[in-house]
Amino acid sequence: MTALPNYSNPVIQVEGLKLAYGDHLVLQNLTFEVQQGSCLVIMGGSGCGKSTLLKSLVGLLPPILGDVQINKKHLWGDDELRADILRDLGVLFQGGALWSSMSIKENVSLPLEIYTDLDETEVEDLVRYKLSLVGLSGFEDFYPSELSGGMKKRAGLARAMALDPKILFFDEPSAGLDPITSRRLDDLITELKESLGITFVVVTHELASIFEIADDAIFLDAQSKSLLEQGKPKGLLNGSKFPQVIDFLTRNDSSSS
Amino acid sequence: MDKSTQSNSHSGNSELNIPIMEWKREKDEILIILSGYWRLSCRERPRIIKRWQSLVKQSSDVRVFHISCTDSADWDSSLVVFFKNAIDDLRSKKKAVEVGSVPAGLSQLLKLSDSDRGGKDGKVNKVDEFEKFATDFPNYFVQPIEFFGAVIIAFMEFISGRSVMRWRDFFESAKQCGASALPIVTLISFLTGLTMAFVGSVQLEKFNAKIYVADLVSLAMVREMGALMVAIIMAGRTGASFAAELGNMNLNEEIDSLRTFGISPISFLVLPRTLALFLMTPLLTLYADVVGILGGLTVGTVVMNFSVIHYLEQTQSALTHMWEVYSGVTKSLMFGLIIGLVGCYKGMYSGRDSASLGKSVTSAVVVAITFIIITDALFETTFSYLELR
Repeated sequence: MTALPNYSNPVIQVEGLKLAYGDHLVLQNLTFEVQQGSCLVIMGGSGCGKSTLLKSLVGLLPPILGDVQINKKHLWGDDELRADILRDLGVLFQGGALWSSMSIKENVSLPLEIYTDLDETEVEDLVRYKLSLVGLSGFEDFYPSELSGGMKKRAGLARAMALDPKILFFDEPSAGLDPITSRRLDDLITELKESLGITFVVVTHELASIFEIADDAIFLDAQSKSLLEQGKPKGLLNGSKFPQVIDFLTRNDSSSS
Repeated sequence: MDKSTQSNSHSGNSELNIPIMEWKREKDEILIILSGYWRLSCRERPRIIKRWQSLVKQSSDVRVFHISCTDSADWDSSLVVFFKNAIDDLRSKKKAVEVGSVPAGLSQLLKLSDSDRGGKDGKVNKVDEFEKFATDFPNYFVQPIEFFGAVIIAFMEFISGRSVMRWRDFFESAKQCGASALPIVTLISFLTGLTMAFVGSVQLEKFNAKIYVADLVSLAMVREMGALMVAIIMAGRTGASFAAELGNMNLNEEIDSLRTFGISPISFLVLPRTLALFLMTPLLTLYADVVGILGGLTVGTVVMNFSVIHYLEQTQSALTHMWEVYSGVTKSLMFGLIIGLVGCYKGMYSGRDSASLGKSVTSAVVVAITFIIITDALFETTFSYLELR
């Protein structure tokens, strides 16, 4: 059983968010909260703007309208403050996005070197510990090009956790991974959530993952470009008002039948 | 070739490697039966399409078209496309179309391609070229200015000691664009000096002033050719590599992941590279000046039979004003800056696909060389206006 998230303590508050790429409107009227220590899954069909929303939550894409607060601080206020807020976040990109010119060790240690005054041995110990968490002990001196896709993702996760973030963002963690590796990643999320109290925001359309890891889910709809529904995945499955949500969760294609 | 397929055939001949279309007319209805060989590899297809078109033209008074296909027909996508086009064509002419018995697979495929018509009006919405240009146009001006401003801020941070730039990256870049470029710079500048000496010697011989080839080569090298040649080599070698490297990092979301750590990609990636190039280009230029003069010396001694001492003394007297050397080095500082900034800019703002990465690398070289030549001309005009020449 997962620990019950504390429902009085939202760490991410999104209000009236409107996002666009250039002139191309992607999402509008997004309002939702993420509770401390919970795992929120952002789901929806391809092209509904899941990754775009994630980009805006991690400070990469400024919104046209609306507000994102992380720990009650405005993310899109001034730039200095944003850098401070970002230090509490960790992001795992789709392909891992490791810095290809650096070894795995350097990838994980760079944030530590920049933001802390730890000496070299302490940094090394920390790096070894983070890599052992994701099952990559012994790969310190490997370069990203020498790792498989799944290993790159796990190394990316170790790097995302380098500064002990309070919130971790995952962009499609199971994309391109075999079922067993992706299952391990799901277990890892649950373990980290329970042991460290980290809040997770996960973009995925992997149904097995959604039911496994999510405490809460939001469903984005490409047609109306908005958030259709928020709730526990099991609750949505049983009692959603929207046929799209139920179809999505049951893999039922009602449009063709 | 079977003649029966050319004419309005009712023979039912099922020749196996040509498409067959037979029809029967009854009052205002027509029954069309397709059979035979309907494959993409069949060369008879254009002919059968023409026959179809002429059939449609002839039967303008027909109200209902029944189309069917025998089960024995050998078919692939070409038949599906024929069916779809035929049905669309007839519907647009306000004719009733009824698909009779067709092979089971074919009817499924027809249904599948019928159900997906992209966006609402049958076209997936795409921004047209002009609209795209209109929205992108301001970016051509705003983005470079933003970038340049960010670089200046990063440089200020660097001066005040708050930069996240790693010296290791700086030294790595300096090695890449400095020491590693020595062989190619040696070759090019030696040959440049050599060529100028040959060209000059022929002209100067007419005035019986052959020794002035030393003046010609040394002044041209230190003022102009040294800096210019090095800049062009650096643009092709280092500018392109900066653009490719950063463009690829952009493609792999590596730059995004730097940003999410609150690490400025300008300070972390652009600054060490540009700074390294800014400092290495003048050094390479000085080196190229010397090698170029040696190229001239080679021609002077081997071909024109001056002694080494004589040639070098003449060179020394030509360069008594060290300003000539300094002006070349000043220019090369600017050139290094241009190449570094253009290369990094093109890389950082390249699109997220491999085709636009190629374009960015090409334009990094072209834009850098264009700016270098323009800057060079501006420098020379200014020097001459200020009577520094």
